[in-house]
Amino acid sequence: MLRGTLFGGTVAIGLPMLDAMMPRRSSAQDGAAPKRIVFWFTANGTRQDVWSPPASMDLSGHPMHASLAPFSQKLLFLDGVDQDVAYDSIGDGHQTGMACLLTNAEILPGDLFCEGSCDGATPLYVGWGGGQSVDQYLADEIAKDVVTKFRSLEFGVQVRSSSVWSRMSYTGPDQPVPHREDPNQNFNDLFGDLDTDPFELALIRKRRRSVLDAVMADHEAFNKTLGSEDKQMLDKHLQSIRDLETRLDAAGVLGEACQEPTVVLPGSSYQQNDQYPVTGRAQMDMLVMALACDMTRVASIQWSRSVSNVQHNWVPLRLGEGHHDLSHYDDNTSDAQADLLEINKWYSEQFAYMLGLMDGIQEGDNTLLDNSVVVWVNELGKGNSHARRDIPFMLAGGAQGYFNTGRHIDFGGESHGKLLVSLTHAMDKPVSTFGVPQYSQGPLSGLT
Amino acid sequence: MGLQHTRRGRLVALIGSVFICGCSGIIGSGGSEAVDDAVAKELCVVDTPIRRLTRFEYNNTVRDLLGDNSNPADVLPPEEEVAGFNNQAGALTTSDLLVEQYLKVAESVSARAIGNMDALMEGCDPASQGSDACALSFIERWGRRAYRRPLEQEEVDRLQDVFDWALTDPDLGTFEDGIQILIEVMLQSPSFIYRPEYGSDTPVEGDVVPFTSWEMATKLSYMLWNTMPDDELFQAAENDVLLTGEEIAAQAARMLEDDRAKDTIRNFHKQWLLLTQLDSLTKDTSVYPAYNAGLRPLWEEEIQTFIEDVILRGDGSLETLLTADYSFMNEELANFYGDDVLDPVTGTELQRVQLDPTRRAGFLTSAALMATHANLNQSSPVFRGKFVREQLMCNTLPLPPNDLVIEPPELDPNKTTKEQFEEIGADPSCASCHSLMNPIGFIFEHYDGVGQWRDQQNGKDIDAVGEVVQTEDIDGTYDGAIELARALAGSTQVQECVSSQWFRFAYNRSVTPVDTCSIEQINERFAASNFNIRELLVALTQTNAFLYRRAVDVGQGGAQ
Repeated sequence: MLRGTLFGGTVAIGLPMLDAMMPRRSSAQDGAAPKRIVFWFTANGTRQDVWSPPASMDLSGHPMHASLAPFSQKLLFLDGVDQDVAYDSIGDGHQTGMACLLTNAEILPGDLFCEGSCDGATPLYVGWGGGQSVDQYLADEIAKDVVTKFRSLEFGVQVRSSSVWSRMSYTGPDQPVPHREDPNQNFNDLFGDLDTDPFELALIRKRRRSVLDAVMADHEAFNKTLGSEDKQMLDKHLQSIRDLETRLDAAGVLGEACQEPTVVLPGSSYQQNDQYPVTGRAQMDMLVMALACDMTRVASIQWSRSVSNVQHNWVPLRLGEGHHDLSHYDDNTSDAQADLLEINKWYSEQFAYMLGLMDGIQEGDNTLLDNSVVVWVNELGKGNSHARRDIPFMLAGGAQGYFNTGRHIDFGGESHGKLLVSLTHAMDKPVSTFGVPQYSQGPLSGLT
Repeated sequence: MGLQHTRRGRLVALIGSVFICGCSGIIGSGGSEAVDDAVAKELCVVDTPIRRLTRFEYNNTVRDLLGDNSNPADVLPPEEEVAGFNNQAGALTTSDLLVEQYLKVAESVSARAIGNMDALMEGCDPASQGSDACALSFIERWGRRAYRRPLEQEEVDRLQDVFDWALTDPDLGTFEDGIQILIEVMLQSPSFIYRPEYGSDTPVEGDVVPFTSWEMATKLSYMLWNTMPDDELFQAAENDVLLTGEEIAAQAARMLEDDRAKDTIRNFHKQWLLLTQLDSLTKDTSVYPAYNAGLRPLWEEEIQTFIEDVILRGDGSLETLLTADYSFMNEELANFYGDDVLDPVTGTELQRVQLDPTRRAGFLTSAALMATHANLNQSSPVFRGKFVREQLMCNTLPLPPNDLVIEPPELDPNKTTKEQFEEIGADPSCASCHSLMNPIGFIFEHYDGVGQWRDQQNGKDIDAVGEVVQTEDIDGTYDGAIELARALAGSTQVQECVSSQWFRFAYNRSVTPVDTCSIEQINERFAASNFNIRELLVALTQTNAFLYRRAVDVGQGGAQ
């Protein structure tokens, strides 16, 4: 196991002592466990013909979701929810599917990413996503109530690149949020503190505060010399430093379940294709512990990216091609369809693993899962048509009973913007519309 | 605060020495914005965006600044990839995560740095000369290298305050602590992380300004070396002799002789030739028993060593890059290429080898490219054609239309790959695009899915004939990659594609309509040198797009 070694000193001490030495303002003082929201992304659509649960919600024999059977009463399967805004937006199927997914906003015009028909005659380029994503909206709102160690945590599993195809979270239009992709680094960033002598920790914080003060003074002078576009970017940089300083003292709630997690880390090979399962597992382990420690209330885990071409060599494959390549075969190519089922079944097993971790953490009368809503999202409904209709949305956990779970609902063509509105209500930060109003008139009915 | 330095009247020298293309005849006199716009357009000059160091540049910079070879910036979020490169100024965004990691990287780098105080102090002994004096000299001396310019007095004052705090803090207090904190702060300064270019405050025309020598030293070093300036560049900046095209060209030529140019050459080709995809390559070893994952780094090293040799030690020509009959291999690699290698090779070191000129041509037929642009278990005429179209000819091919169900035919093990893909190409819904790619890919059919030569497939002779259509100057039928490589090397479309790729990479931005005369100038010089890449790089330091910018408009509440 890798242990935090910041500044060398690593005196292991008991958690109660840490707890006593670092009292933090938090919801624990209010007596109730906080609500959390987690977005879980997988790519390239699904096997829509298989995806839905049976009417009984008994998943034990389900070809894709059997591993979710223990949680079936904590799940909500949503059929018939479409990314309508993606059909208005510029951009190709995957670009819009990704950039509109959590924003419900059209992609910005720009000259960054080739949409497709980009040859000399009719060049078509697009920019970044055009609005704040719902996870970032919630992070902003929650930050007004409580300072957590991280405003939000965006975990990636081999996302690798940064483009409009690979970003679903935006702090605002044109402002994509990158992922934490290196589990080794994550371990230090998240849990290094738990391992550090509290006296030393206090020194580190004091030192960082002074260093950041000096850096900020430098930035302020520097930014005044810039032209407006450069200044805009550097001001955002400066704002991030201010935010970082604000969060230095937020150590999280050291609840009973909060401890340094035991994680199998993939080492420097975390980006290699065959390490995908190990990397993903490590990221899930740490994400759940970060929630248990109340390091943040808003998190996401993105498996690869839209157009994921991960080679899922660890499941039985007939064609053995990358995920995206497989997703392009027609519905009658049985080998490809079999492979796609195996891939999505594997993702369902990973989902079940994380839900199991969350459900195993008791917080008062509830579990962490009960206190959370985990939202499984996908940029497409179906890979070979690039359909952004009937996206396989699944909710897990009820956000402390807000959602009436254990059901399957077919909305028959509602806009996904309404789902985003529902999520703001579930998290007690309600809005009436989110992103493009036309496609987000209030929450989805029947979820609560 | 003004960061401009060494402003002196050099208007005359500039106008006399710098080639201004399509000179406007408009003599600017602080006229209206519209006049300034017209002048800048006429002179092919644009605003220069501020650039953030990429992870690669950050790593190289701390290597040269502190001898730190640990690649500490690898933990930063990946750069945004735009127009094929990860160093495009306008696309690089900032984020909370980036800033958080800058803090941690600065902590680890500074902690390592004070392990060698002698190197940092350069002879100043705090015990005898006083810690304040040594701290001040460190701030001015090291700060100038870290910020790549002399520090303003206000900056020195602020850093002295930081040092004083560290020295008086009960939990810190040693001289080393103070130096460590200074490094930590300076590594997080925008003056280190970013490369601002303000230009001199004396316009040559309209609001068009040249750069200061300090700025030019930094421009040259990051463009040609992907790292900070060396002592000679700093000295030239100090002497203010990086002002004329001749002075700048002379430095560029010197810099291309330096080992650091390798970093840039490799970085460019890794991205241009999509070698980044090698890392995630997977092959079916039941189809390709000769393949193992250990070949991937060897393939990359082969193509990079070859390119580096041609550009930095060889004749430098694009033609040689595309058509040479030699490469660099060790024993394992030579065994992989088999009969194509004409020299005996032993040992693990790469060495120059003669290749069968009827089978191999430059980087084009290297295993690195052939294996990357192939499928798990077969070659891919589509991917290979797409590679030639997009990377070498600067075409951008349309993606399959929205909502189109793509139905590739079942593959038949009794047919050759070419026969199979000809069926795809024949489908009318695919033909319009695939006729641009597949026939080019067919020309590479002698190379299987891992890049090994083959004369037969499934018991049938390989047919490597393909027709190239809709190009500017190489339409025709070709039999095999050797013929195609020669045609590509002589193609104006390919030559101009190469220069535009280098333009984007070197200038960290896309080509705009205003750049037309700079592009023409680069292409002329490239052609005049018989398409020598070294000369192309020097030519990139001679354009108005490189030598000038429009003055920074700080707007309201701006600089003092």
